[in-house]
Amino acid sequence: MKDQLNKLDQLSRRQFVARAAKTALGVSILPIAGANRLLAAGGGKAEHCIFFYMSGGMTHMETFDPKPGAETGGKTKGISTGVAGIELAEYMPQLAQRFSDIAVVRSMTQKTGDHRGGAYWMRTSYEPRATIIHPSMGPWAQTLLGKKHDTLPDSVVIGGGGEHPGAGFFGPALAPLPIGDPDKGVQNSAPYNGVSNDLFEKRLDLMNTFDDSFRRKFQTDEVKAYTQFYEETLKLMKSEDLATFDLSLEEKYEEKAARYGNTRVGKGAMLAKRLVSSGVRFVEVVSGGWDMHNDLWDAIPTTGGQLDQALGSLIDDLKAEGLFEKTLIVVGTEFGRTPIINANGGRDHHPRVFSTMFAGGGIKGGQVYGASDDKGIAVKENPVEAKDFNATIAHAMGLDLNKVIYAPSGRPFLVAGHTRDPKTDGIVTEGHPIMELFS
Amino acid sequence: MTTRTLKNLLFTLFGGLVLTTASVQAEMRTWTSADGKTLQADFAGTAGAGANAVVKLKLADGSTIDYPVAKLSEADRLFVKGNLPTDPAALASEIDKLVLNKLRESYYGLRDELAALPQKADLTPAEKVKRKEEIEKEMLMCVPNEPTNDNQFLRRIYLDVAGRIPTFDEAEAFLNDRAPNKRALLIDKLLDSEGFVMRMYTYYADILRIREGITMMGNGDLKADPYMEYIKASIREDKPYDVLVRELLTAKGKVWEEPAVGYLIADQGMRLCNLSNTFTIFMGTEITCAQCHDHPFEEVYQMDFYKMAAFMGTTETTARGGDAMMMMGSGDYRAEIDRMNKVLLDAGKLRPNQTQDQDLGQWFGTHRTQVVDTESNVVKLPHDYKYDDGEPEMKVDPGTYFGDKTDLSKYETPREAFADWVVSPGNPRFTINAVNRFWKMAFGLAQIEPVYNIPGHLDGQAQNYELLTFLEEMMKDLDFSVKDFFRVIYNTAAYQREAETHTPSLTQVDKGTYHFPGPVLRRMTAEQIWDSLVALTTADPESVVRRGADEYKQVMSVDPASLKTADEILKWKEDFRNASKLQKYSGEVVSREDNVGGAQMFRASELRQPMPADHFLRMFGQSDKQLIENQFTTGSAPQVMALLNGSITNAVLTSPDAYLIKEIAFGKGSKRDNVDKIFLSVLSRYPTAQEKTAAQSGMRAKTDRDMSEAEKLKIEAQAIGNVIWALVNTREFMFIQ
Repeated sequence: MKDQLNKLDQLSRRQFVARAAKTALGVSILPIAGANRLLAAGGGKAEHCIFFYMSGGMTHMETFDPKPGAETGGKTKGISTGVAGIELAEYMPQLAQRFSDIAVVRSMTQKTGDHRGGAYWMRTSYEPRATIIHPSMGPWAQTLLGKKHDTLPDSVVIGGGGEHPGAGFFGPALAPLPIGDPDKGVQNSAPYNGVSNDLFEKRLDLMNTFDDSFRRKFQTDEVKAYTQFYEETLKLMKSEDLATFDLSLEEKYEEKAARYGNTRVGKGAMLAKRLVSSGVRFVEVVSGGWDMHNDLWDAIPTTGGQLDQALGSLIDDLKAEGLFEKTLIVVGTEFGRTPIINANGGRDHHPRVFSTMFAGGGIKGGQVYGASDDKGIAVKENPVEAKDFNATIAHAMGLDLNKVIYAPSGRPFLVAGHTRDPKTDGIVTEGHPIMELFS
Repeated sequence: MTTRTLKNLLFTLFGGLVLTTASVQAEMRTWTSADGKTLQADFAGTAGAGANAVVKLKLADGSTIDYPVAKLSEADRLFVKGNLPTDPAALASEIDKLVLNKLRESYYGLRDELAALPQKADLTPAEKVKRKEEIEKEMLMCVPNEPTNDNQFLRRIYLDVAGRIPTFDEAEAFLNDRAPNKRALLIDKLLDSEGFVMRMYTYYADILRIREGITMMGNGDLKADPYMEYIKASIREDKPYDVLVRELLTAKGKVWEEPAVGYLIADQGMRLCNLSNTFTIFMGTEITCAQCHDHPFEEVYQMDFYKMAAFMGTTETTARGGDAMMMMGSGDYRAEIDRMNKVLLDAGKLRPNQTQDQDLGQWFGTHRTQVVDTESNVVKLPHDYKYDDGEPEMKVDPGTYFGDKTDLSKYETPREAFADWVVSPGNPRFTINAVNRFWKMAFGLAQIEPVYNIPGHLDGQAQNYELLTFLEEMMKDLDFSVKDFFRVIYNTAAYQREAETHTPSLTQVDKGTYHFPGPVLRRMTAEQIWDSLVALTTADPESVVRRGADEYKQVMSVDPASLKTADEILKWKEDFRNASKLQKYSGEVVSREDNVGGAQMFRASELRQPMPADHFLRMFGQSDKQLIENQFTTGSAPQVMALLNGSITNAVLTSPDAYLIKEIAFGKGSKRDNVDKIFLSVLSRYPTAQEKTAAQSGMRAKTDRDMSEAEKLKIEAQAIGNVIWALVNTREFMFIQ
């Protein structure tokens, strides 16, 4: 019979393994493997990363780089950080209090002023192309270090839109698990409202009866993979891993939620902390509302304040649990906003200079790296590009910046961008970590 | 080989099974119509097929007319049929011979190898055992599979041609049809259906990456409707494939005026990527690497890449400076926008603190996005060019590196020369690429894999070289009619065999030794799954379509100077926003109530392109339309959870007032046949006795005599819902056998 054909060496044997390993929820048959974290030069301490992506272009002058008194400063005041000569904007009181734990980069610069292009650069270190999608940092970490947890996914994106590069050319198997609403957790993970366990089991029995002859006849890799997905998913639905995504199981949920701010970004931070505590490596929390073309000062107390509160509580909780040193917190965005205030009381897109923030995971707090000029228009010293920003994340996580990974098309790529070394003609990293940030 | 026509090829291969047309070209023939009229004319070929077939008649004055074959006398119809390269049955049977020849040849080759294996001195005993297993495996795959039964064929042909499973009514009609040629008739019917347009559109949208906003970075202010409708119309009218491709490469202007510009605008600002994409999509050739260095494996030099790119070097996708100002009928558009903003401000129609309406500027600003031809060629070698045939930053002249040479002096723009070169019969990869991709759509595996990397030398690389060459010539002889091409393919016995029950081995794919004992078993595409679910919610799955091109064109053609009052400006904005909408046949705009609980159960081709990342379609692999063929058919836990616990299987298809329950189970025929009706609806087949018993157990156990009719009905509805839930969750539902 043709059954004997079903051995190794089949068309999609490789794909099969990859497919069956396809997580989504860490339904995985791949062994945990990969390189060790590189611990050189203060790096490699961050086992986890929580990346706050401020979508829309976070105004630098109302967050980390205020210019009170300058003609471009608007009505934003500065507040003391406890470090002489360094102020944060008044909308960041919690972070100002915890300034000794955070490092601010004020000399970020970006190549483009369009949202998607800028976001793509920030997440991938590469320019958008129509022939390839580059991976984002979570899947890079999984590729370079191996899977962190045997059943939980390596990367999760909370509140992200449809434009995330995800795993790029690494393929859907490494794609970050998307969580839309932090309060709702994983979509469809529990039986539909009103479907009892008995009914659920009965339906499954029917399914298996109806499908029996087909599955016996067609023993292709794909059919088997799907049957395995059903088995693994049913296991998952009963497993404790799912509880990891259920924010309501958090101890003192109400009190905690209030402390984080009872907001999307606050709950995102809460869930990120919960995931990281359980072993997820890379969590991105996406938060919008930053594209403030109009009435900026109506919006910034809320949008800025929510971020500030979420970050403040997150830092406290990670410290309380002893996770702060193992967890890198990053705040990034696609670009800053124009120092010149426009006709509608807002600021427009400004890629020339903007700010980002780092904390935990081996970062030396209480410092500012780089500077913008007096008006907040251009980089005054130490420019940092998206690829350097990602190189800094990679260094903190102990990723090998010079490890070449080939896309299926054979093209070589590196975690923080690549360039040709004129001396050796080899391919080397283009982005360089900000070493001053590391203790 | 490429210059030989199909007819000659057939003649040499099969001893003249098909008459050549050479003999009829010399003298004028007398033609008789069915009602007895006569006409002197030369036979000059045919076009179309089935009921739409026409004969081309060349008159004495040299002009050519199209005459419906159906209106000819019977003798003339026979004459035409004998000379008709488009007769699908004849062509299908030639394909079948080529498939069988190859299977037989491989079988005997493997058998001989097996017999000689014990004597092979260069293999260890262990290697011999391994090789023996491989050979036996491959020999089994050289035996043609059984013909499909009507149920299998019905389901597969609907999925392949119309993009979804048949509805209950469609399934019943076909199965009850006693006509001996009912399969061929169904193929014809489906190829002319709107379902085929939607199915092919989804395929093209995947390789062309057609998305809302059109450009890579998603210019949200530019509507894709005209481009989408243009592609759909091209499929509907069966525009020859080469003509379509040429239009995509040569169109100029704005998308609402010349929708085919969408192809170039999709890669706005990425000229070199666009060139790579054109090679991948239309020539199955991957040259992206030559953008940065000589191709490591193929004869493609970096210089070749830039010479090819230079053909498109005078083409821009953004009108600049003076062009931009002139882009609308009346003078200075900036001044017009300022004036309109002031009108809105004075009328108190802007938000507090606002002095500008943002949409207005951006929406009118899309006039700048257009394909224009300029005088100067901007393509230069890159700054780090390191080969000795050129200097960095040096300008290069257009030139081809395979196929025909081009003569630029014959063309107004270099890109027209390029377009002609791409689609010319002398291009060895254009037609091969098309037939290779189309074959894959029907059989699940291409003759050459991967489809985007057709090697320079085909012999020995294709699964079946003779067949591939035959298909290439056939496509040319069919004048690149995609419908006719598929008509032939779907009429072959090879296609109508059962799907292969095991996965072809990687070596079989790599070495080209899978010879199609039947199609490969495929998981449905995301769109096929979705559209099949749509077919479970209505008797007419194609009744709602997206429309917007005409309205959008009207809105964008408005002269801003004519928008004088605030009301006129706001009305314009409203028209702009409403241009794209879902409509029923009647023209009625689809409302929320039509949405089956907000689920938008309409064909995927008519919904947002692509759907949001967390939508069912994306979860099952709908392309994000960023890269060519970026769809996937691999599984994941979220997919399974969506089918187990999502609203579609738990409410849309299974609530008491769901279509399958209310209209099919309770609405058609006897209630005793409910399980039959549900099986036919979901799996296109009737249940086995065992399955029927299992399905009915729920109903019998729960209802009893004392219940009111309403209660009984409710219990029954729930039981039917369970059966639907279970069937949609089967692998049998998800795979195309």
